Amino acid sequence: MDFTLNAHMPGLVARVTCEVGQEVEENQELVVLNCMKTEISCLSPKAGKVKEILVAEWDEMDVDVPMIVLEEV
Amino acid sequence: MIKVLNGGIEIVVEDWPGRVGYMGLGMSPSGALDNLALQIGNIIVGNDPGEAGIEITAGYCSFEFTEDKVICLTGTDMSATVNGESVPTWEAFKVCAGDQIKFDHFGEVGFRAYILIAGGIDVPLYLDSKSTCLFGSYGGFEGRKLKPGDELRGIAVPNQDELIGRKVNPKYKPEYKNVWDVRLIVGPASVPDYVTEEGMDYLFSHEHKVRHDSNRSGYRLEELPSFFFARENGGEGGDHPSNWIESGYNMLGAVNINGNFPTLLIGDGPTFGGLMCSANIIYADLWIIGQTIPGRDKIKFVQTTQEEAKQARIEQLQMLKKEDLVIR
Repeated sequence: MDFTLNAHMPGLVARVTCEVGQEVEENQELVVLNCMKTEISCLSPKAGKVKEILVAEWDEMDVDVPMIVLEEV
Repeated sequence: MIKVLNGGIEIVVEDWPGRVGYMGLGMSPSGALDNLALQIGNIIVGNDPGEAGIEITAGYCSFEFTEDKVICLTGTDMSATVNGESVPTWEAFKVCAGDQIKFDHFGEVGFRAYILIAGGIDVPLYLDSKSTCLFGSYGGFEGRKLKPGDELRGIAVPNQDELIGRKVNPKYKPEYKNVWDVRLIVGPASVPDYVTEEGMDYLFSHEHKVRHDSNRSGYRLEELPSFFFARENGGEGGDHPSNWIESGYNMLGAVNINGNFPTLLIGDGPTFGGLMCSANIIYADLWIIGQTIPGRDKIKFVQTTQEEAKQARIEQLQMLKKEDLVIR
C-alpha cells in the first residue's frame, strides 16, 4: 500500500533528505521546505520505504502537493 | 496559565501598536501582524484592545492550560479543538486547567490566528510594549518565538465567566480572501525621476503574488518588470536602480523596492536603508498583510489619497468603539 508525504506549507524545497529505496521511520525527516526564510522539516507520516521522489531543490510547493511516495513495509 | 506542547511554525507574543517611539534608534515597532483580529479579540474578552495575545502563524501547534481561563480565538480559522472538540472563533469561551487546545493548519484563506486571554498575558513590558521583535531578539517571551515547554503566565481578572458567549457582530467580522485589495498612498519614490509612468500603471493594474520568503520583517511580492525603473542605476546609491542614498523608511507599511522585488515593510522590518520606497499602505489596511498566505495569495493595489486614508483610519478606530461590535 503506497502513501505520500505532502507539503504542509507553501514554500521552496530546500533539500530532499532521503533516497529511493531507503527504509524510513515514522517522523523521520524526508524533505526540508523553506518558507518565511525558515527551514521547516517535513516528516514521514509513518514508517515505510521510499518508492519515488517527486520534487527537487528549488521546486515551489503549495499545501498538499505530494513530494515523496512511500510504500508500507 | 498556558503551556506550549507543540511549537508549530511560529508562535509569538504580540500586542498593538507595538513598540512605537524608538524607530529613530533603529528599533522596529513589531506588533500583531493582523492588528484588527488582535484588537477585536481583546475587546471580546474584556481586555484593552492593544493587550498582548498569542500570534500563531500557519498553525500546527498545541497548548495546555494550567488554570481556568476565558479565551477567544480570532484571525483565520485553524479548525481549533479543545480536548478533541471543535471550538468557536471570534467568540469567548471557557477552558479549564488541563484542557488541551490544538490548531490544525491554516485553511483556504488567512494565515494567522490569535489567542486572546481574559486579563491578558503577563510578560514584561520592554520599552512600553509586550511585543516580540524576532529579529532583534527582544520583547515578548524571552525575545523569541515560543517552543515546547514554555509557559506563559496570565493576569487574573474578576468575574471572567461573565464574558462567556460574547462574540463579534458578524457585520464587523473582517472578510478573508486570496486576492486582496490593499490601498496605497504613492510616494516618495513614485515620481518620474525614479519610476516610469508604465511602471506605476503596472503597480496598480497587476495582481502581485506574495512570495514564499515573506516573514514578520517584510512581505515580498513577485518581481517587477525592468520598465518599472526610470533610471539605469541607483547613481550614488548603488548599481541597481532601486538604490538611493540611505533614508528613513515609513514603518509600518512602506512599499520598499528591494532590487526588483516590492517588499511591504511590516512588524519587525527595517526602519532605515538605501532602497527607495514608492508607496505606503494605509493604516486601515495594514492588518491585511498578516493574513495573506505566502506562496499563494495575491495583492492588488488601489491608489488612494491622504484624506481617504485618514478617514479610513478614523472609521476603523470608531468601529472598535461601537457598542454593537460585540453581541451575545
